[in-house]
Parts: sequence; structure tokens; C-alpha cells
Amino acid sequence: MRRRPRARAGWQPGLRPWWFLLPLLLLIALFILLPVLGTFGTSFHEDTAFRGRSFNGLANYLHALRDAGFWQSLTFTLLFVLVSVPLELILGLGFALLLDRALPWRPLLRVCLLIPWAIPAAISARTWELIYNYQYGLANYILRSLGLIDAPINWLGSDVSAFFCVVIPDVWRTAPFAAIIFLAGLQAIPRQLYAQARVDGAHFLQVFWRITLPLLRPVLIVALLFRTIDALRVFDPIYVITGGGPGGATTSLSLFAYDYFASGDFGYGACISMWLFVIALVLALIYVRAARFAAEAT
Amino acid sequence: MKQRPGPWLLLVALMFLLTGCGERPGGLRFAVGGAPHEAAFWQVLVEEFRAETGIDVRLDRQPTDTDLRRQELVFALQARQSDPDLFLLDGAWLAQFAAADWLMPLDPEEMEADAFFERVIAMADTYEGALVALPVYVDGGVLYYREDLLAAHQIDGPPETWSELIEIGARVQAGQRARDPHFYAYVWQGAQYEGLVCNFLEIAASAGGGIRFEEGDVEIDTPANRRALSLMVDLIHRHEISPPNVYTEMKEEESRLFFQNGRALFERNWPYAWARHRAADSPVRDQVRIAKLPHFAGGRSASTLGGWHIGVSRFSDHPEEARRFVRYAVSRAVQKRLAIELGWNPGRTDIYGDPDVRAANPHFAVLADIFAQAVARPTVPYYPIASKALQRHLSAALSGRLTVAEALRGSQEAVEEIAATYAEP
Repeated sequence: MRRRPRARAGWQPGLRPWWFLLPLLLLIALFILLPVLGTFGTSFHEDTAFRGRSFNGLANYLHALRDAGFWQSLTFTLLFVLVSVPLELILGLGFALLLDRALPWRPLLRVCLLIPWAIPAAISARTWELIYNYQYGLANYILRSLGLIDAPINWLGSDVSAFFCVVIPDVWRTAPFAAIIFLAGLQAIPRQLYAQARVDGAHFLQVFWRITLPLLRPVLIVALLFRTIDALRVFDPIYVITGGGPGGATTSLSLFAYDYFASGDFGYGACISMWLFVIALVLALIYVRAARFAAEAT
Repeated sequence: MKQRPGPWLLLVALMFLLTGCGERPGGLRFAVGGAPHEAAFWQVLVEEFRAETGIDVRLDRQPTDTDLRRQELVFALQARQSDPDLFLLDGAWLAQFAAADWLMPLDPEEMEADAFFERVIAMADTYEGALVALPVYVDGGVLYYREDLLAAHQIDGPPETWSELIEIGARVQAGQRARDPHFYAYVWQGAQYEGLVCNFLEIAASAGGGIRFEEGDVEIDTPANRRALSLMVDLIHRHEISPPNVYTEMKEEESRLFFQNGRALFERNWPYAWARHRAADSPVRDQVRIAKLPHFAGGRSASTLGGWHIGVSRFSDHPEEARRFVRYAVSRAVQKRLAIELGWNPGRTDIYGDPDVRAANPHFAVLADIFAQAVARPTVPYYPIASKALQRHLSAALSGRLTVAEALRGSQEAVEEIAATYAEP
């Protein structure tokens, strides 16, 4: 008779796993925790390149509340999240449903889908900038060749069209990310459920609403959380394409904070970053709570 | 018995590490712009300087973008690093560096400060009475125009006033449209960035206006400035002689290419564009001319002062050698070569009349006049912050979201708030 390996049953982890985790924990502390704490501390100081550093309590935070530029960029940022995240998730879900089927060329399609995600954000933003260009941009060229417009359109010229000009590159780049997450979720759904539904004569929309979507909910929450936090921090497409213009209409909070850091006011820049951090934290808590409720309800 | 190499290897590695960190190659570090021809020019100078004095100078190539250059320097100086010892500074952030006490004061006599443009030294290089930098080369807005197109429409010279520019521009544009439906009369820099403020400032000065925000005394929302901003809006939206993308896409290079491709009659740009317009591959090579910018009736031409200044870091550990290099970089001989070899505009006035320089750059006759009349951006340390607020409001007027009056009132209020926050208590 073989003896059961006793060592495993009686193994006391003790401190050993912590030793293996230590390098990672140190990295996190060094590159994430310390900078965040540093920014938190700086946000309570007047800290400029030209007057030095001194404690000023909540002055930066109160200043932000009276700062029209802050409200403008806060409004833009929230609108950006509100518009871009749903678009990304809906498109991503669509791609995932397509790829989940036994399509021919599936591996190739999957690679194609991932290309936008693999291109660095600043570079893809540069590409979009060239598409929007007034004189020799692709968008105006196509519309003109089709005879749809006589004069080129100044895409970045009005607040509304400039808004969509920065939303589109972000959706284009990140929908594939959502698709990959959804695809993983879809492939974890037991195939018998679909077979049974088919036997019961369910319409494919019924299958989607009753089986796919409910079972995808945990994955959906994860994707929503990741995309929301990421969209809140949007920087690259805006910095490259509009520079925050026209008239500050597309200035995100990140760009607003960056402008202060770059102009020599580190204290106020840090304070803007902390506002961003707080907003992201609150939204994350709401999502996690919603996910828990949903889990308890089912 | 086999020897274990481990400890020895470790020791050797440690020694390399320690010497690598502790010892810096001797000599000065000089942060310059990264454009290839600029870096190559300084490389030659640095080698000649070494041959002459035995002092080593190593170049740190910086990005070409002004904001990125400032950031790099701010981070180094904030950390009190001893290198770079020397750097080139944009006039727009000189005051901030001086207020932070990052610049070593220079002796005006030792540096021959009298030989430079007086207004430039007074408005940009002096902070609270001390000379803190010297202009290596100066810049100011100029008007480029197409002589052939003016001649074709029987116009004998560039416009003197803005209304002449509008009148001539509309006529030539109408004539050219038959050949090129996207021809525009006038291109300038209107995107939301520092260049927008520069363009606004010189138009405002040509109406007798300008901006001032020293010592809590903010002056932006004035009748002259309203006239200037109205002109900028009207050029795009009312007279339609400037393309709509002026306020969304046009920075220096965009307007230069637009003009250089033969699609514009007039262009506002910095003097650097001259050499590019005259390059062998430029389609407007023989047709382009240079002039002062127009002014409002009763006003006079003005140019926003730009350019790069050389300064010595407060934290340099070789201040004596660094000052010696400054003296060398702004010496008559070097400034003359800057003008002849790079076509850049020296900060010294005594170069502009030099026969060799005139032979290489006939347009210097116009430039010397322009620089003597330059207007500077406010020299307060919080200028970069105030400028961002100005950019937002001016751009909103150009895009039509705010009226001219609203934009200037908004700028006034925003900058008052900024001045109250950052002015010395």
C-alpha cells in the first residue's frame, strides 16, 4: 500500500512564501505606493519651482473648487468616460461574440483585432491626427472623393466634433482589450447550456439575454472597472491630437494636472491628481459593491 | 582544489559600480537643442573651445520641444544636480528659473552686456537688477510674403497696416482660387499653445495694447487688446483669408509648410523659416521676401521676442569654467559664425552691420530693426501658468465659443486670480 505524502498535508507555510513575494512587494512599494504617498503629501503644500515648498493645508483643494479650468476639465473627463466606456464595451462584446463562433481564419482574425491594442497610444493618436488633418487628412479626402462635401471639414474646430475626435481613437484602441476579456468569459460558459436552450427552441436573442449576459456579468464588471479607471486618466490622444483645445474644450484632468507640473506648480498639479485618484476610487468602490449585490442576488 | 569565482566577481563588479557612480568625467555639461544641425554646430565650437582653453565641454542633446526642454532642466535643477553646468533657456521661462535662484548672476562688464540688444537684456536677461543670462540668439515675429503674387496683382510692396493686409489678401486670394481652390492669403500660429500668445501679443502691441501682470496690476481686458483679438477672429471667420485650421492645427511648422507649398500669400513666422523657404527644395525659393509685421493705423509694428539665452546653473561645480564658456559662446567671433553658418540671429547688435554677415544674410537689415522693437512676454516667474490660462481663453475666442469681450474678461479674471496666488506676498 502506498502511503499518502504526509509532507503536503502537514505543510506549514510560515514565512517562506513572503520571502518569494518580497521582491514584488518592494517593487510595488517603491514604484506605486511611494509616489502615490508623495503626491498625496505634496498636494497639501504650496510647492512651486520658483517659491519653494511650504505647508498650506487644504488651500490647493479649495482653490480647485473655485477654478473654472478645473471644472471644465472635470466635466470633459466625466463626459469622456460616460461616452467612450460604453462604446468600448459594446464594441468589445460584439467582437468577442463574433470570435467565439467557429469562424474560418479565427486565429488570424484574433491577431487583427489585437493590433490596435498593441500599437502604443501616442503613435496611434498620431495616425488619427493625420486622418483628421484639415488639408491632407484621409477623412476629408474620402468625403471629397465621394463628392459628399465641397470644402474640407475642420474636424478639431468645434467643441463637439473635437470631443468625438478624441473619443474615437480611444474606442478604436481599447475595444479589443474589452473583447479579449469578454472572449475569456464567453469560453468559460458551459456549452451544454447553449445546446439545451436550442433543444428548448430559444431564440438567439433569448439565449443572449438569459444565458450569455448573466453568466458574463463578473467579467463585465471587471472590464467596466478597468476601462473606467483607464478612461478617467486619458492623456495620450488628447495631448497629441488637440492639445486640449479648442479653448480648453478637450482638456482632461490628466492633461490639466500635467500642465501645472510642467509650468512649475507641483503642489496644485498633485492636488488635481489626488482629485482624479479620489474619483477613480469612488467609482471603483461603487462597481465592486454593485458586483457584490449582483452576486448575492443570483 | 577548485577556486570559487563568486566572491571575487562580486567584488570586481562592486568596484566598477562604485567608481562608475562616484566619478564623473571632468569638464562641463552643456544642455542644447537636439536639432541635428544645431548640435553639430555646438560640437564644433566645443572642440575649438577645448583646443583653446583645455576645458572639456560635453553636450547634452535635449528634445526640440520647448516644454520638454524646460521639464528636463526643472527636474535636474529641482534635484540640485551639478549637471548640466550650462544650458540654453527660452525667454519665456527665464524669470521662473531666476526666481527659483537657479541661475548664477553674471558680471555685465565681463560679458560685454552693452554689445547686445538693449531691450532684450533689459526685458529678458535681467532679473531683479541682476544679469542672469545672455541672448545667444534672438527671435521675433516677421512677415513672409510672395513677391511674384503681389507683382502679378500690381501691388508694389508688402502691407503696412492690417487693413491693407486684409484688402490685398482678399484680392490675391480671389485671383488665386481659380488655380488652387484651397489657397489662403494669410497663415499664422493659432493652435492652443504658447505660440498663440506670441501671435496675440504682437498684434496687440501693434494696436498700442499688450499684456501686463506685474505686482498684482493685471492689464489684459483693454480696448486695444479687444481690437487685436477681434482682428484674429475676423481673419478666420469674417474675411476668411486665414484657413479654419489656423486655430486647431497651426503651429510653426504647419504654417511654414502651408506657405512653402505655395498655398499662401503671407505668413507670420519666426526668422528660422527664412532658411527653409530659401532652401534648394523649396517651391517658393525665389519668390519669398521678408518684412515687418503690419500694424493698426496709428500704431507701429511689433514682434514678440523669442530666442534662446545661455545661463549658468547655480549648482555647477565648475562655475569659473562655465562663465568662461558663456563668454566664448557670446563672443563676437562665435556670434558671427552663428549668423553665417546657421543663419541664426545673434543677440549682439554689432554683428548685423558686419559686411561678411550681410553678404551671407541680406535680410539681416530688416531683422536688426525688428529686434530693436521687440516686445517681451511678462517676466514674472508664474508666466507659464498664466500663459496656459490665456491660451485657453484666446483659443475659445478663435473657435467661437466665447466672444472677444468674454474671452478677454475671462483672461483678465483668470490671470488676476493667478497673480494673487503666486505674486510675492
